[in-house]
Amino acid sequence: MHTGSETAVGLDKSLPSAPLAPTKLEVRDLNFYYNGYHALKNISMDIPEKKVTAIIGPSGCGKSTLLRIFNRIYAIYPKLEAKGSIVLDGENILGPGYSMNRLRSKVGMVFQKPVPFPMTIFENVAYGIRHHEKLSKADMESRVEQALRSAALWDEVKDKLKQSALGLSGGQQQRLCIARGIALKPEVLLLDEPTSALDPIATSRIEQLVEELKGEYTIVIVTHNMQQAARVSDLTAFMYMGELIEFDRTEKIFTKPGKKQTEDYITGRFG
Amino acid sequence: MHSGLYLRRSIFNVLALCLSGVATLIGLIFLGWILYETLVQGIGAMSTTLFTRITAGAEDGGLLNAMVGSLILNFIGIAIAAPIGVLAGAWLAEFANKTRLGEAIRFLNDILLSAPSIVLGLFVYTFVVLPTTALSHKNISFTGLAGGVALALIALPVIVRTTDEMLRLVPSTLREAALSLGVPQWKLTCQILIRAARSGIITGVLLALARISGETAPLLFTAFGNNFLTVNPLKPMSSLPQIIYEYAKQPNDTLNAMAWAGAFVITMFVLLLSLLARLILSRSKVSHD
Repeated sequence: MHTGSETAVGLDKSLPSAPLAPTKLEVRDLNFYYNGYHALKNISMDIPEKKVTAIIGPSGCGKSTLLRIFNRIYAIYPKLEAKGSIVLDGENILGPGYSMNRLRSKVGMVFQKPVPFPMTIFENVAYGIRHHEKLSKADMESRVEQALRSAALWDEVKDKLKQSALGLSGGQQQRLCIARGIALKPEVLLLDEPTSALDPIATSRIEQLVEELKGEYTIVIVTHNMQQAARVSDLTAFMYMGELIEFDRTEKIFTKPGKKQTEDYITGRFG
Repeated sequence: MHSGLYLRRSIFNVLALCLSGVATLIGLIFLGWILYETLVQGIGAMSTTLFTRITAGAEDGGLLNAMVGSLILNFIGIAIAAPIGVLAGAWLAEFANKTRLGEAIRFLNDILLSAPSIVLGLFVYTFVVLPTTALSHKNISFTGLAGGVALALIALPVIVRTTDEMLRLVPSTLREAALSLGVPQWKLTCQILIRAARSGIITGVLLALARISGETAPLLFTAFGNNFLTVNPLKPMSSLPQIIYEYAKQPNDTLNAMAWAGAFVITMFVLLLSLLARLILSRSKVSHD
């Protein structure tokens, strides 16, 4: 197991001075190319276990791109290429032999817009589980209930599990997507601007949920809402034009950032 | 100074409105005329014997064998074309999208979509009727099955095209969401995407059915026609469009009237299919929002 901080010292000054927790995802010299365009430049960072890491930055800075490399979902499109390494539990997930099936059961993802599958609420959660494990009917039911409870959705849907998920509100659909992700018992949960399509009340429910989930999962959240990053995260990474400018404890980033660009961004001078 | 400009604009506006209105009217007049004529002549020629007697009776007969034949031929056509078309469309949209092979096949499919139907009929004559004739001791084997295959070739590109387009309308976020659960591409396609695009695909199949139910040319050298009632797809089979074609040429008012009745039946069938397709599409819109 890599402890992260040893290899990180001296490599990049933008890494947190003292680690909060053991490293879960160790990113080293990550470069990313969109059809030849250099979108991410030499990113190195250690994402700590069971903490919330926020990635902020202006539109087009590469924050979503970075997140989408962590479960290699980018690989479904042609002409995209990632170079460097991301070590998860001692193995490089960018290595050629790493199984997608395994990676995606370890690293779950929730997207910007809620995307329920066109099936019942129960089936939405059970669908992913069924692909990875063979469970009895009773075990499946308790697993689905557990996931819906963890996503703070159970009380609202327990009487209509057989109804279409498309009938839920946007906020409920997003929590269903979180339930679907955590039903696979992943180790890392990636959230790509999970509240940008939701109203303030639904947003605060999701933020509350993130707070509750971090005891069990390593969470990486991309957000363009700086208040949200300040509220929910332990660590914050600021990205600008494909580079990781600064990565530190959230309170430090928002009170005394080390770089001028970070300060300009969080004080609203650009972005 | 401005009033001249505004006046010129309003004149152009009225002019453009008039031209497009006239164009619409010309189209509508002919469409209405065709429907009116079919309706009046068809209803006038309606009688119960049309549905109980066969064409062997000529003036004293009916269209029973042609209607049953049409239903069977259409059924065979759709039963062959729908599964192949949906799978091929899914392959184009999900596995070959933006690849050179996929683009080439999409282009060829569009050509097939507008291929003259008589050519497809001749193709089936050459590759189904002639070989089966050789097998059956030189008894020329026109069959309902061959007719159904010819109709399937006409329905196929329609279904491929609509499935392909409907699947490509499904937002890519749904694909990403499923793939990020570790679900493989084929499961994603069969269990989620086809379900998400279900109503559009069913509509495509219904429109293909509407399209083949009026086809005459591909049946001439395949199903051939049969003045007696048969439900055996290995026998020559009658069909409504073919009877309309034959009766309309006859110098006989009764037979001409029966052709109108047949035309009326097909028109109503197509109208019902179109309404059903619209109903399915509109329902799915309500449930998705």
